[in-house]
Amino acid sequence: MTHRPLSIAVNGTARSLDDVPDSERLLDTIRWRLGLKGTKEGCRSGECGACTVLVDGVSTLSCLTLSREVDGTSLTTVEGVADDPVGKEVAEAFARAGAVQCGYCTPGFVMALVGLLKERGRSATVEELLADLGGNLCRCTGYLSIARAVALLSRESP
Amino acid sequence: MPPFSLVTPTSVEEAVAELRTVAPGEVAVLAGGTDLSFDLDRAGPSLRRVLSLRRLPWRTLDWNGPVLTVGSTLPLRSLEEDPGISRRHPGLYQAIRAVGGVPLRHRATLGGNLGRASPASDLLPVLLVLDAEVDLVGPAGSRSVGVDRFLLGPRRTVLAHDELIRSVRFPEPRPSAYLWQRVRPANDISQIAVAAAFSPSERRWRLAVGGIPPRATRLPDAEQRLASSVAPTDPELRPMAEEASRQLPIAGDRRRASEEYRRHLVGVLLSRAVRAAAAHLSEGAR
Ligand SMILES: Cc1cc2nc3c(=O)[nH]c(=O)nc-3n(C[C@H](O)[C@H](O)[C@H](O)COP(=O)(O)OP(=O)(O)OC[C@H]3O[C@@H](n4cnc5c(N)ncnc54)[C@H](O)[C@@H]3O)c2cc1C
Ligand code: FES
Ligand code: FES
Repeated sequence: MTHRPLSIAVNGTARSLDDVPDSERLLDTIRWRLGLKGTKEGCRSGECGACTVLVDGVSTLSCLTLSREVDGTSLTTVEGVADDPVGKEVAEAFARAGAVQCGYCTPGFVMALVGLLKERGRSATVEELLADLGGNLCRCTGYLSIARAVALLSRESP
Repeated sequence: MPPFSLVTPTSVEEAVAELRTVAPGEVAVLAGGTDLSFDLDRAGPSLRRVLSLRRLPWRTLDWNGPVLTVGSTLPLRSLEEDPGISRRHPGLYQAIRAVGGVPLRHRATLGGNLGRASPASDLLPVLLVLDAEVDLVGPAGSRSVGVDRFLLGPRRTVLAHDELIRSVRFPEPRPSAYLWQRVRPANDISQIAVAAAFSPSERRWRLAVGGIPPRATRLPDAEQRLASSVAPTDPELRPMAEEASRQLPIAGDRRRASEEYRRHLVGVLLSRAVRAAAAHLSEGAR
């Protein structure tokens, strides 16, 4: 079958990808076609949040999304957060709070949180932000350090 | 996963025509894909087409007086973020918030939840107590079916192979509440869940239960026990809770929780849900 190339802006750079099968998942396009291994595969079934990326600024589970469904959009992966003021702040908060142990969940948490802060602005409370991170799992930290990172980013922080 | 081809029609006519050209097992309809992804991973070689609804003009939300119409492909997160939902349909808001996490809700849709018709759905009990109408479109035109009639059983609905869910209509705002019991609050399946709503036009309570097979169901006998009392007192709630516990159609199912525990929970949660809905009523939510 012949296909139009898939066009997406990846972390600010326009890309045109040939031969992407209709059945390919965005997670696989990101990791194997684009070689961006920051986005993690935890469960491949929507349950862990490790594969979270931003599609047109909106947090999305890349393991449940067909790549062709996001044709024409702009994609931000964890590799792109350093170029974004909110992303930078979130990454710094995780570092300051010691919210990274093995780090496997971190890209997903960071992207989900960047998405939330962009969606809600700075009006969200710590409780709201934590409730809205319910789809992200961490096996290491027990979440306390992640909650501290979130607290650094909410409007309640000093 | 079979090498299906993805079709993205831009008009409803085109979409319905596409469904007609392929045999039932050869095509799957894709909205947010949060449920369908699971099926695609396990689909046999007969699956040839996946029909994406992404380009159809159904990502809509309209208030027309009291009537709310939600397009079937509107992401649940957009529905949740509309300020009218938490104010006028508090139970629907709570139910949406119970579905997965935010990145999931950015893609998951109301149409997909109805299409899947899962016994574990968090949205179907609320749709039942709000008397939601499902608008379908097919080769012969459109028809509307009440949610109660739309649902047949686990993953079974009245939807024909060449029909699509276009929208869901909610006839009137109702003070309502949705409550669930889970082992873990996030990303888990409810052991049992209940919805309660008071219809101001009929001055009657509606109660429904979900989280148990074969499908979300109303509990008419328990509803009867509440008569037309807008704000039932504890002595009025007790017979309702006892009736719901008796009536719960759960014989033999022990997945996720024992039958005894669920019979106990349904009464407790319904009493709380009715109280919560009544509190919305007294706050003047109309
Ligand atoms: C990790 C995870 C957690 C989840 N948690 C919850 C939860 O807590 N509560 C809950 O209720 N659900 C939950 N779900 C299930 C799912 O996310 C919801 O049912 C969601 O609403 C499905 O919507 P969708 O748009 O993604 O559907 P899709 O996956 O696109 O479609 C689902 C089914 O409906 C059909 N369909 C979709 N749209 C239409 C249409 N317009 N017309 C006709 N048929 C259609 C499809 O063909 C398919 O059979 C969860 C799923 C996952 C993966
Ligand atoms: S890999 Fe996507 S949610 Fe786990
Ligand atoms: S730091 Fe290891 S899973 Fe979260």
